[in-house]
Amino acid sequence: MVAVLGAILGYPIYDLVRLSLQRYGLFELIQHHGVYIGLHNFGSVLHDGVFWHTLLRTIVFTVANVGLTMVIGTLIALLLVRISTWVRILLTAGLVLVWAMPQVVAVQVWSWMTNSENGVVNYILTKLHVGNYFQHNWYVSPFSQLALVTTLVVWGALPFVAITIYAALSQVPHDLVEAAEIDGARPWRVFLDVTMPVIRPVLLILTSLSILWDFGVFTQPYLLIGQGHIVPANYLMGIYLFEQGYVKADFGRGAAISILMLVIVAALSIVYVRKMVRIGDVE
Amino acid sequence: MTRRRAGGAAWNTLGLGVFVVMVFPVFWMISTAFKTDDQVNSFTPTWFSTTPTIRHFTDAIHRPFFWADVKNSVIVVLVTVVIAMALAFLAAIALAKYRFSGRKAFIVLMIGIQMLPATGLIIPLYVLLARYHEVNTLSGVIVTYLTFALPFSVWTLRGFIIGIPKDLEEAAMVDGSSRVGAFLRILLPLVAPGLVATSIFTFITSWNEYIFARILLNDQAKETLTLWLSFYLGTGRNTDYGGLMAASTLVAIPVVIFFLLVQRRIAFGLTAGAVRG
Repeated sequence: MVAVLGAILGYPIYDLVRLSLQRYGLFELIQHHGVYIGLHNFGSVLHDGVFWHTLLRTIVFTVANVGLTMVIGTLIALLLVRISTWVRILLTAGLVLVWAMPQVVAVQVWSWMTNSENGVVNYILTKLHVGNYFQHNWYVSPFSQLALVTTLVVWGALPFVAITIYAALSQVPHDLVEAAEIDGARPWRVFLDVTMPVIRPVLLILTSLSILWDFGVFTQPYLLIGQGHIVPANYLMGIYLFEQGYVKADFGRGAAISILMLVIVAALSIVYVRKMVRIGDVE
Repeated sequence: MTRRRAGGAAWNTLGLGVFVVMVFPVFWMISTAFKTDDQVNSFTPTWFSTTPTIRHFTDAIHRPFFWADVKNSVIVVLVTVVIAMALAFLAAIALAKYRFSGRKAFIVLMIGIQMLPATGLIIPLYVLLARYHEVNTLSGVIVTYLTFALPFSVWTLRGFIIGIPKDLEEAAMVDGSSRVGAFLRILLPLVAPGLVATSIFTFITSWNEYIFARILLNDQAKETLTLWLSFYLGTGRNTDYGGLMAASTLVAIPVVIFFLLVQRRIAFGLTAGAVRG
């Protein structure tokens, strides 16, 4: 049973490695076997300027998204502790509702809210005197496009992060916090010295998970920027892989890109894997 | 944390502010869906429609392929859930109850699979399914979803099974139950909540899945509902946002209902089980 399951799960990985060492295009797809060409695919990817630009852009994107998600998520969790019960129930219900929204649905709502003709975001920003956003087009530059994708990704990720951190906060001992406050510790110090050590493991796991989700993100940028407007200047790794491997039907090269992505992600979130393996082994 | 400062007016106002900002997109989707075309296209937004219409909803469900794609989504989701639960339950028992060689390797593999960004597997899975002529078939999509549903389900169910004391099962066998009898009468009822939670979670992830459906299915009659929604606007310049929001609401409704049912259970299982919500 377990062996069969292991095979089902492990086979795609084995296949991925084999593919990356082959020339495998449409012709080979029909023939059902590729031609071994060693590390040529990796060489070609690593010599592609677009790859390096995309990698750098994706890292900046990931840092921004994970950073915003974790900081705002923690702040919302801390806020949940301080508000009265009815506000907490309301806010939690709201967060769960947002959490439940399918990504593709959220993308459609975003495109409606930010359309340049009569998007409600432009209307609100103008009314709030943030500036004149009348018919402002958010989809003109790669920076603006990816900033918009960031708002969408962070909005979607916040509920899970905030609710999980809130659950972890309930583990923080009351008396310790009170003792620190009586001793005259400032809120910031209380947070760093008393709260932080307790919730650190949860923060670590959440950060690792966020890194691997945001690094490989595809649906939101692909659909929000729009198929017709995806260009190398706004590629993220997930989209680069999709365009190079699937759209161009160069599956060998796509496999090489996948492996490079997986290695980078694995390196970034090794903490999480080690922790999970330990949990699985101990119990 | 101390509850002493709980309920300050300033904190409550801030909490309500966060609520409004977070929920606004969902509110805006539903509110737009019920507006008339004039209200949708106006430069000054209408917050609540005083003359709500369900015309956008009737338009959406009469769009080409809506019902065909609903059927596809339902088939994919149901088959994935049933197979995943059957396999995951057995594997979880093996993992929780028995020590076997390669157990650790299996755990690493299972967690490793979950670690991979799904995007990283589109190429090998596409090539693999093409080899067996499973591209553009629902069965190909189901097999793909199983590779993702299984690790999470095994991991979560394992947690439920570990919680059951071995003595309970043994006591039943001492009392004359067969192994199967002990399994049916003792183990199954105790794991049932776990099975419900993981089924619903598998349901939600399969219903929402986009990238693999996009890559594997290229025939409108075979698409899932997520794909149908993503192509709603088409390439035309005249965007029917009222219809789009009504369609979005329809796609979101089943997920929201089921999600609300299991959220409490999943929220805590997630940090241990780890799959995107």
